[in-house]
Amino acid sequence: MRGHAAVSPPAVRTDRVVPGAPARSTVVSRRRPHAGRRAVGLAGTHVAMILVCGFALAPLLWAISSAFKSDSEIMTGISLVPTHPTLDHFRAVIAESGFARWFLNSLLVSVGVTFLSIVVGSLAGYAMSRWRFRGRGLYGNSLLAVQMFPGVMLAIPMYLLLTRFGLIDTLFALLVTYLTFALAFSVWMLKGYFDGIPREIEEAALVDGLTRLGALRHVILPLAGPGIVTVAVNAFLLSWNEFFFAYVFLASSEKFTLSLGLYSFIQQFTTQWGNIMSAGVLSTIPVLIFFFALQKSLTRGLVSGATKG
Amino acid sequence: MTTTTELPDVRAARDRAGKIALLRRRTTAYWLILPSVLFLGAIVFYPLVVGLAEGFRNHNRLQPWLIRFNGIDNYVKALGDREVLLALRTSFVMVIGIVGLSYLLGLAGALVLDRQFRGRGVYRALILVPWVIPPVVAYISWQWMLNDQSGVINNVLLQLGLIDHPVLWLADPRLAMVSLIAVGTWSRFPFMTITILAALSAIDREITDAAAIDGANKWQIFRSITFPMILPISVIGTLLQAIWTFNDFGLPFVLTGGGPANATTPLILLSYKEAFQRYNIGYGTSLAIISMVLMLGLGAIYLRMQKRQGVYE
Repeated sequence: MRGHAAVSPPAVRTDRVVPGAPARSTVVSRRRPHAGRRAVGLAGTHVAMILVCGFALAPLLWAISSAFKSDSEIMTGISLVPTHPTLDHFRAVIAESGFARWFLNSLLVSVGVTFLSIVVGSLAGYAMSRWRFRGRGLYGNSLLAVQMFPGVMLAIPMYLLLTRFGLIDTLFALLVTYLTFALAFSVWMLKGYFDGIPREIEEAALVDGLTRLGALRHVILPLAGPGIVTVAVNAFLLSWNEFFFAYVFLASSEKFTLSLGLYSFIQQFTTQWGNIMSAGVLSTIPVLIFFFALQKSLTRGLVSGATKG
Repeated sequence: MTTTTELPDVRAARDRAGKIALLRRRTTAYWLILPSVLFLGAIVFYPLVVGLAEGFRNHNRLQPWLIRFNGIDNYVKALGDREVLLALRTSFVMVIGIVGLSYLLGLAGALVLDRQFRGRGVYRALILVPWVIPPVVAYISWQWMLNDQSGVINNVLLQLGLIDHPVLWLADPRLAMVSLIAVGTWSRFPFMTITILAALSAIDREITDAAAIDGANKWQIFRSITFPMILPISVIGTLLQAIWTFNDFGLPFVLTGGGPANATTPLILLSYKEAFQRYNIGYGTSLAIISMVLMLGLGAIYLRMQKRQGVYE
């Protein structure tokens, strides 16, 4: 399983001392006498950051650039900006292949996993936060251990089992698998958020006649908004980007998810890089939108979850 | 007299009621975790048990009549299998290269991002791009950039006159490994940056300022204050990355297909090939089990360190 599946609370936890930030401004003012040196330092900072971000963005930028280039330009051109931008490759991809179908399949699985990982994760996270039941430690550790199993180790027996139960080559098999791998993050993250919500609030709700589940649904969850966003982003990215299990489980082209469809594209189009890249760009757009739209609340969620943790 | 005999009864009844209430409350917790336990059981633990059994069987799907328990034969065979030993070496080279480089790059990025400057938020968001975009898209794009005939990297180097004939980035065994490590670093360093950045922002500025006033230079401050404080997070992040890199199937499979001549086939890919391309289910599973056991050691350290850090309580 790729990194997305992972719980990364180290990052979460340590963000907690963000309130310490004001202390920095005093440092800056103290250093003001060396204004010249600071300007040089600032330039160096930007150069370093541009280099690092350039490396980070390189394959995406080049994919976008290639997707708009004509076939003649694509093989020799080294300019990032296409001289005669064209939409031909995008048209070819949408018209020729099962691309729309794969897109829909990916969307179906990802939205399903996202929704279910919030539901299942908040139930379990609530239990972890409010009860000290026997087996709690074992349960929590099992969740963490799951993200360390090699996918191949599980895929071989799962392939045999799914074949036996007639579930091989179904999107359902993928959905259930992704959900399970998303759970570790969902449960631990939401547990952290629920810990920060005072018990008095839900006790008041219980006195007012709500059931436990009612209190969770109407009182606790609305207060854990940023945590739910974080869990949703993680689950969506995990299922949208996953390749290995899709490759092992799915056989028929009309069941493919985007990652798998793209991989089959390299076989189909071999050197038609324009088509391959435009398909790649199209399948990246949803995650980029999803990520940058929620990036602010994601960061806020991580920070506040940490301060409560 | 009656009161003394009744009293224990009442108390017992109350105890029983209390216990039932307590039990019911605990039962609620079990009901709440039940859905996730079912998924874990069906998707992880049941297959795990089946898989562990497969590792001790001679099971080739093309020769179903030969399926039988064969003890530790698969493991004995693996130890003497040159392909396996080569794959293990590849795995370790990959893990050390990718994790080492992504840590260094992540640390550098985090140290720069920890400064206060305009545009910091934009850089921080952009650095996360490799973590967000679909790996298959990214690996295919890298493959295209590293292509020896028409890839942009060779084209640029040729036009700059740095090379006079195309470099075989993916077709030469050694260079393929270099390319694999470079692309692996690309995919892993954002996680390191963000993790270390979080640890850095937890450091109290007063301490580093005091050291600066006492005459410590930047390197001394980094070595004696900053680095020791981010060390625990660094170790945890590195362990996690090592496990994921060792288990990473997509990177070698999509970027190089394990080639040329198995030069970039780590153990996990070999295990897949045995099971799904050569239909040696039993042998392939035993190779996956070997990887799992190797990672279990790292995993145990990881869990222990996490606990000591108080992340999971």
